[in-house]
Amino acid sequence: MKPAPTLSAAFLHPAGQSLPEPLLALRKQRGTALVDMPLPTRKTENWKYSSKYLKLTDDMAISLPAEGKTGSGLAVPGYKVAFLNGVMLPEASDYPDLDGISIERFGDLDDVEAASLADRMDSTLNSSSDKGVVQMARLNSARFEDGLLIRLKPNAVLDQPLFIVHEVNADASGSAYPRIFVDAGRHSQITLVEEYISSGGEPVMVNTVTEFTLGDGANVTSVRLNMEGENVQHIGATGVSQQRNSRFESHCVGFGGPLRRHDLQVRLEGEGAECKLNGVVVTQGKQHYDNHTTIEHVAAHCNSQETYRNIAADQSHAVFNGRIHIHQDAQKSNADMNNKNLLLSNGAEIDTKPELEIYADDVKCAHGATIGQLDEVSLFYLVSRGIGRREANVLLTMAFINELVEQIPVEQVRDTAHTRLNQFFDQTFEGA
Amino acid sequence: MLSIKNLHASVEGKEILKGINLEIKAGEVHAIMGPNGSGKSTLSQVLAGNEAFEITEGEITLNGENLLELETEERAREGIFLAFQYPVEIPGVSNLQFLRTAVNAMRHHKGEAEMNAAEFMKLAKEVSKQVDLDPAFLKRGVNEGFSGGEKKRNEIMQALLLQPKLAILDETDSGLDIDALQVVSNGVNALRAEDRAILMVTHYQRLLNHIVPDHVHVLAGGKIVKSGGRELALELEERGYGWLGIKDEEEAAANSAN
Ligand SMILES: Nc1ncnc2c1ncn2[C@@H]1O[C@H](COP(=O)(O)OP(=O)(O)OP(=O)(O)O)[C@@H](O)[C@H]1O
Ligand SMILES: [Mg+2]
Repeated sequence: MKPAPTLSAAFLHPAGQSLPEPLLALRKQRGTALVDMPLPTRKTENWKYSSKYLKLTDDMAISLPAEGKTGSGLAVPGYKVAFLNGVMLPEASDYPDLDGISIERFGDLDDVEAASLADRMDSTLNSSSDKGVVQMARLNSARFEDGLLIRLKPNAVLDQPLFIVHEVNADASGSAYPRIFVDAGRHSQITLVEEYISSGGEPVMVNTVTEFTLGDGANVTSVRLNMEGENVQHIGATGVSQQRNSRFESHCVGFGGPLRRHDLQVRLEGEGAECKLNGVVVTQGKQHYDNHTTIEHVAAHCNSQETYRNIAADQSHAVFNGRIHIHQDAQKSNADMNNKNLLLSNGAEIDTKPELEIYADDVKCAHGATIGQLDEVSLFYLVSRGIGRREANVLLTMAFINELVEQIPVEQVRDTAHTRLNQFFDQTFEGA
Repeated sequence: MLSIKNLHASVEGKEILKGINLEIKAGEVHAIMGPNGSGKSTLSQVLAGNEAFEITEGEITLNGENLLELETEERAREGIFLAFQYPVEIPGVSNLQFLRTAVNAMRHHKGEAEMNAAEFMKLAKEVSKQVDLDPAFLKRGVNEGFSGGEKKRNEIMQALLLQPKLAILDETDSGLDIDALQVVSNGVNALRAEDRAILMVTHYQRLLNHIVPDHVHVLAGGKIVKSGGRELALELEERGYGWLGIKDEEEAAANSAN
């Protein structure tokens, strides 16, 4: 029998960005823990459908250089932080000094702040029973070169969305490890947009971790737009922990690639907390996309609502795994999970799996998953009114995701998504 | 305008239309009646280009042009409109967006400028009044949750917006209350024009009181077994189909299955 593959030691050597001592220590400790870490295989439950897309070669182990051109940078209105290859670029970033809100790169933290951050890093992802996720996120903890700590004091309100543009410049093979930590104090509010883009064409891997901690009554909206190129393997994790009456809203829009993986874990730890998780995934060609979400109802009287839609064309492959875990004390939990999938070709594959673990007896938990194709009768109805095939296909496909796209609370992201969707439609329905 | 010659069509290997001949001239209104399952909707769908049906023999021309060579959307742009017996619900596509896309596809085809959202809204509101449909219906998904009568009015609204050359109305009068029948009939009468033809499939003579046809045909077992003037409809109402040698519905269906 072949020995199970392990993470090459080459991946455990971070480059030498300057970081405060406590963060360097954390990184070292996490690296030691990852020695001989088994890589996910087909037998790893939560990588069952996706392990075959994971191809980490040693020449991807090297950290991509932190300088270089930031080419494609999206035009962003308002507050913006630019990351290149996992390192923040102050000169390309633009945000004002804000009352009660601090936005700092890890390198600028003093040792006390850094120690406090180091204590909390990974905390939102720790609790998972899901080893594969934690380990891929830990790779980030062993490798991050920089990061952004966003802290909101109690009642602080960010008056417009903060965009973080994560660009990977793939002029050479390598990897990048962007890291974000958001500490939203009591009753604070923020909308954070993360856009993942790439330039250059060499094979690279982007391994991200974004963590949110929400104090009592905090209100956080996270928008994540994944649009990296065909040469980029993306393994991302988002961890969220929520205290009393806090509200977390997530909008993930992702376009496929050679490997796309996003793990989103939300812990509802304080009574009255609620989360709403929306996701839209579009894949084509031979692309892949895998969303794994976990919602932990730890405290009583919490609500979670999750709606994900996958659209797979050509020979592409989309995966959705939605886990809801209602702990024993989480009485009066209300969980609603819905996943609908649209196959646009016979060669495409979509795998969907709801996983419910319910240990409390007085809860409401609804879930549903469907996989279907565009309805021929609807199509005929549309074209019988003179509407062209492409347009009819687009109307029906958009009907499938429009509700979710329209809910994205940032116009610029909606526009970007529409532009990218139109390209997808042109390619997918060109012969139609 | 429309000429159908010896049309045979089948679905899943089963022949439904068994040699239809029909000539419709501009300005005329034709009514087609006939027992359930005799092929009326099949004929309507075939004219509109539904590919679920295979044409095994015969020809259809519209103003001399071979219709069978045209895709459904091309036929629509050439002026064929089918009001469906069962209008399709499409949640997620707003009625307004649907109607505007259709109108603009037609305008584009004719080399006319597209209508912007505001212009179209104005037009759509006017036409929705004409069929007595609350403009609030424009915001809803296409036919989504519409009552049977509302769906039929929505079909007529589309005909009024698209101004076809040949309007095929498949049981647009079914399931309508008395007032709605009046509204729909007025809509259809508004469509009547010198350069337009109307083909109405109906089971009821009462529609023909509102919309007086020039010709009435009886379709049974996949063939037109009798044609006449509007008095034929009255006769059918009185005597049923039996005197035409058509036994009853079940047998007609059984015959068409053989
Ligand atoms: N897609 C299909 N597959 C199989 N059989 C079909 C299909 N469409 C129609 N048929 C059959 O063709 C025959 C004619 O159907 P059609 O709908 O044209 O009848 P109709 O005259 O419109 O009847 P009604 O008055 O009830 O509307 C019926 O026996 C019907 O079951
Ligand atoms: Mg019928």
